[in-house]
Amino acid sequence: MRPSNATLTASGPSDNPPVQERPRRTQHTPPRPLRVRAARSLSSIFMVGPALAAVVAFILIPVVVAGRLSFTDWDGFSDSYKSLGLDNYVQLFHDPGVKNAAYVTLVIAVVGTVACNVLGLGLAVMLNGEGRVKAILRGLFFYPHVLGAVIIGFLWSAILSSEGAINTLLSAAHRSKIPFLSDPHWALASVVFVVIWSTFGVNVVLYLAGLQTIPESLLEAARIDGASRWQTFRQVVLPMLAPTVTINVVLVLVQLLRVYDLVLAMTDGGPAGHTQTYAYLVLSESFLNGKIGYASAQSIVLMIVITVLAIVVVALRQRSEKAVEQ
Amino acid sequence: MNRKAGSRVGSVMLGLFALVMLVPLYLVIVNAFKPESAIRQRPFSAAPGVLSTDHLRAALSSPDYNIIKAFGVTVMFVVLVNVLSLALAGPAAYVIARGTRRWHKGMLLVFLAGLFIPGQVLVIPVIYVLRFTGLMGTIPGFVLYEATLTLPLSMFLFVGYIKSIPRELDEAAQIDGAGRLRTFWQVIFPLMQPVVVTAIVLHTIGVWTDFVNPQIVLGPTSGLYTVMTGVYSAIGLHTTDLSVVYPTLLLAIAPVLIFFVIMQRKIVGGLTAGATKG
Repeated sequence: MRPSNATLTASGPSDNPPVQERPRRTQHTPPRPLRVRAARSLSSIFMVGPALAAVVAFILIPVVVAGRLSFTDWDGFSDSYKSLGLDNYVQLFHDPGVKNAAYVTLVIAVVGTVACNVLGLGLAVMLNGEGRVKAILRGLFFYPHVLGAVIIGFLWSAILSSEGAINTLLSAAHRSKIPFLSDPHWALASVVFVVIWSTFGVNVVLYLAGLQTIPESLLEAARIDGASRWQTFRQVVLPMLAPTVTINVVLVLVQLLRVYDLVLAMTDGGPAGHTQTYAYLVLSESFLNGKIGYASAQSIVLMIVITVLAIVVVALRQRSEKAVEQ
Repeated sequence: MNRKAGSRVGSVMLGLFALVMLVPLYLVIVNAFKPESAIRQRPFSAAPGVLSTDHLRAALSSPDYNIIKAFGVTVMFVVLVNVLSLALAGPAAYVIARGTRRWHKGMLLVFLAGLFIPGQVLVIPVIYVLRFTGLMGTIPGFVLYEATLTLPLSMFLFVGYIKSIPRELDEAAQIDGAGRLRTFWQVIFPLMQPVVVTAIVLHTIGVWTDFVNPQIVLGPTSGLYTVMTGVYSAIGLHTTDLSVVYPTLLLAIAPVLIFFVIMQRKIVGGLTAGATKG
């Protein structure tokens, strides 16, 4: 079939009936695989298309829209808005509210990331292995994750408020109350504590998963060489866990930079804004006050900071992982 | 000697940590059955004299917050989001995992970029996309948005997993005359069970505990609230009345905790599997 087509095309286009035009155009690719390939790419489009469309419509376009709105003074209601250029971004860097929220968020993120990783790794080493008690404890450290940050926030505010459970206990013991939620410094410390309380369980689980990937033979070799428990941990376990550490640091850091619901329920940003996180500022202050343009600029900055920090952490960790290998 | 002392210190520390984890839970359970004055005077006591189910019943029939309805709505969202998420992510992950061309890689990057975009950045402009499509404040709009938010993680988990399934299986199915969509659902998808369980666990916790998106996307006008947004509006009004706070919290967490205790192995195990796959 194909060779005869080829001779036909060679003999001149004018002799060809219209039906035979098709094979001539695709002389180099045989017709059958073409149809198969077309069907394949059609099915690819059909299978990837819906997911891609959803991501484009509800993630990519909104990011572009946020970027666009961040250069305007739109209030969310008016038909028109002015283009402000970079004004929102300039204002952002001079805004004392933003500075305060950035400080609060930084404290939560840095202290929380360090604490969750130290606790997560330490407890994972202690809880590694079989055993009923260990299994129960694993569940116990993880359960706050299924409760939801709003509920955790209300719960701890009921425990820590001036009329709450702990202060009642203190006054019953004739001790002075501790202003867990009403003093600026105590309030931030309380929020950090509850953030750690509700987060580190996931790190325990992830470090346990990492510990399981360390071959038993390595640990045995260390034991035979007479290494102490600490030496084994320092020289064998920790280097093997390097990739797990990276995952844990990035995950917790990214999560803690967006703390919102917990603060909303626990302190509502108070006292006097001293526990106002950046995410709280974006959603509760700027957005609800109709400062859509300004809130968009704030959220774009949050996105850039999170992306840059995640990339920096991964790059730094990769360098130290390489250093360990050498 | 040294080792023994070390492990004893370890046990004491573990015990203390366990206590810190348990005390809040204990307080919710005990104080949900006590009147305001008893909570204020002796919050840790569980003396049987003062215990009653009155406050629990009052919270159950609270006019501003129907907890049964909130649970129904939340479970419905969890199911719909998981089904839609699998239907969207599964076939797409299959094509991308099996693809060898550059656009397949590019497509994966587009999906994974979503992992770095925080919900707070999206929720403001998403409102305008939803208004534009007429889906704002509706169940389909919320489910579609929430399912889209699960896609970056699903794609991350699925693509890696499908790559570990031998291609020969696809070819055998295709020689038997199955199309690609059928090959995926009937041959590959059943083999993906472990990673699908992980995805469902993570998405379920995510949808269940989500507060910002239902609060803003569904909005107060829809009359729909989830456990999180419902508890927020119910307690937000009465933060100082502990005989409302504790029972409401107990009702909201009791079913989840029971579910968690039963499913603990699956939930923690799924997370572990997901972590090592990453």
